[in-house]
Amino acid sequence: MTTLTSPTSTTPRWRTALRRATDRRYMPVAGSVLTLVLMLVVGEMRYGGSSGFLTPRLVSNLLVDNSYLLVLAIGMTFVIITGGIDLSVGAVVALTGLVIATLLPMGLPLPVVLLVAVLIGSAMGLIIGVMVQVFDIQPFIASLGVMFLARGLANVVSVNSLAITDEGFASLAAWNVTFGEKANQFRLNAAMLVALVLLIVGFYLLHYTRFGRTVYGVGVGDAGNAIDLMGLRAGRTVLWVYVISGTCAGIAGILFALYTKSGYNLTGIGMELDAIAAVVIGGTILTGGGGYILGTAVGVMVYGLIQVLISREGLGEAWWTKIFIGAVLLVFVIVQRFLTARRR
Amino acid sequence: MTAPTELARRVVHHKLFWPVVALLVLLLAAGVRSPGFLSVTVQDGHLFGQVIDIMRGAATPLLLALGMALVIATGGIDLSVGAVMAISLAVSLQFLDNSATADQPSTAVVAVLLGVAVALVLGAFNGFMVTVLGIQPFIATMILMVAGRGIAMLITKGQITTTTSPPFKTIGSGFFLGLPMPVIIAAVAFVVVVIVVRRTALGMLLESIGINREAARLAGVRSRNVTWFAYAASGLLAGLAGIVYGAPTMAADANNIGLMKEMDAILCVVLGGTSLMGGKFYLGGTVVGALILTTIERVVIIFHIPSQTTPLFKAIVIIAVCIAQSPVLLRRLDLRRLRRASRRRAELASQEVPA
Repeated sequence: MTTLTSPTSTTPRWRTALRRATDRRYMPVAGSVLTLVLMLVVGEMRYGGSSGFLTPRLVSNLLVDNSYLLVLAIGMTFVIITGGIDLSVGAVVALTGLVIATLLPMGLPLPVVLLVAVLIGSAMGLIIGVMVQVFDIQPFIASLGVMFLARGLANVVSVNSLAITDEGFASLAAWNVTFGEKANQFRLNAAMLVALVLLIVGFYLLHYTRFGRTVYGVGVGDAGNAIDLMGLRAGRTVLWVYVISGTCAGIAGILFALYTKSGYNLTGIGMELDAIAAVVIGGTILTGGGGYILGTAVGVMVYGLIQVLISREGLGEAWWTKIFIGAVLLVFVIVQRFLTARRR
Repeated sequence: MTAPTELARRVVHHKLFWPVVALLVLLLAAGVRSPGFLSVTVQDGHLFGQVIDIMRGAATPLLLALGMALVIATGGIDLSVGAVMAISLAVSLQFLDNSATADQPSTAVVAVLLGVAVALVLGAFNGFMVTVLGIQPFIATMILMVAGRGIAMLITKGQITTTTSPPFKTIGSGFFLGLPMPVIIAAVAFVVVVIVVRRTALGMLLESIGINREAARLAGVRSRNVTWFAYAASGLLAGLAGIVYGAPTMAADANNIGLMKEMDAILCVVLGGTSLMGGKFYLGGTVVGALILTTIERVVIIFHIPSQTTPLFKAIVIIAVCIAQSPVLLRRLDLRRLRRASRRRAELASQEVPA
């Protein structure tokens, strides 16, 4: 499960390249890409019609509808790679949405409100981080505590659905650039832009920085040996990982508020599980130590596509979505299990 | 050190010290605020009072938490219990709804058995995923958590199934020996679980798996079967909890019954001093955990705090108890005490030298 490619100077270059391409580490992600392709093929066959199923419009809609989930999943990927879990993100989304909905009518400028919303997320993540890093409390229970905290605070702010009528916010939500026409129309909005930028930042942070390496090292566990051998120091990595996840949850809260133009204390119940499911479908291993940000992006797309396929199939009832998501998750973890079975 | 301080030290260091303190503080606070809180009255031979209500409310989380404790002891987790609650209730009520003899006690018994049997199968499915397929418990049970609610909705066709069956209703709102029926059921379940795991080697086997699965296997523990048992037991108890929870209203709301109850159950177990890492588990502590959780909900009402702030108080109690129990804090306190003792000894020594 190690993430280091051992530099083999003696073998010829082409063999190294070949081994890299067929690396077992990529197998879970290959599985999720395969799932995505399969779903697209099924979609194309069943609902292709004249204009086709996989159109720029479909991709654009998927990104627009799931941008908040993508942001949550990016933060969650960091946490899960360290072997932790963050159950608080759904409640944080509800809290930030309500904070935005209450602060904007008070006349505070939009940038300040948005900054406050993000910082609330970071603060929630910091609380989890301190509990996990300093007090050695299990991530599950620490983040569960903060989930109740955030949900309780959201309930204190308001138990009604508050519409966000602020003009600046509305124009931010409505802002978009469109390319192409009809089925080829690709609509780029603010939420999608934020999610894509965070994807790039997360990718860089996880795969090209010392911090990212340490995240993997912590996740491998091995009583810290892995980190020592890598010449890294764990330091406060675990704490920062939760701050990242909390910050992502804060940003996702803003994106969700942009999407729904309202704040409500009951939003985001179970959203943390959506994010975890997307991360797992994306090939990240829940025990920690392995996974990729781009895999997570694929996972979110698969997750979104499930819903598109179900609605196209005419199974509008909510229960089919749930059963189908469960079934896809089941098939995926079993496949992943067999792909990774020989590694242990 | 003298005997009383030694005793005090042992009490303070006992796993259940902080949870019991939290429970007592909550009860006392409510008692001071509303003097009638702790009194229990007898009406028509039934016991009534806030404390009895707390016990009644604690029955469902306790049933869930008993199974959860066994699963957590093996180092696993069962996220599906809330969904299993919804399924078993949906199955039971759907059966009663389609039955012509819903008011017969025998029909009600069949309905209960049917619901519990489905729950047992679901628990066994979780066990299959975890033990045979080797999928991590978190994700294995999450599958049923997500899909299970869909299955429950499928059973009720998305409607809220309501039906009438006096014998079935008794399970939720009846009395036996003066105590509410759910309390009796939870107590019986507790005693059965305690006898099964503590009067046999089963509990020890569960703990050995949680501490080191491989070592347990090498020592001859059939870890697969024992783990499977834990998940099946958790499913069964969740099914029972669903029926007990839904019986008073006789309405199977597949969308909401048991929602987030898995988190409550896990909290009960953790508040009771059992570590999520697996290994040692404390069933008595789980009872205290369930009582704390229910008392919080009750106390919030007593203090006339809006009930939607309950999660906030839950959060405060969880965080406080977890930090108080955290080994890091204990180690630091111990370290400080040791330092103080050694300093005192050094002072005494330096005083004695001139004399």
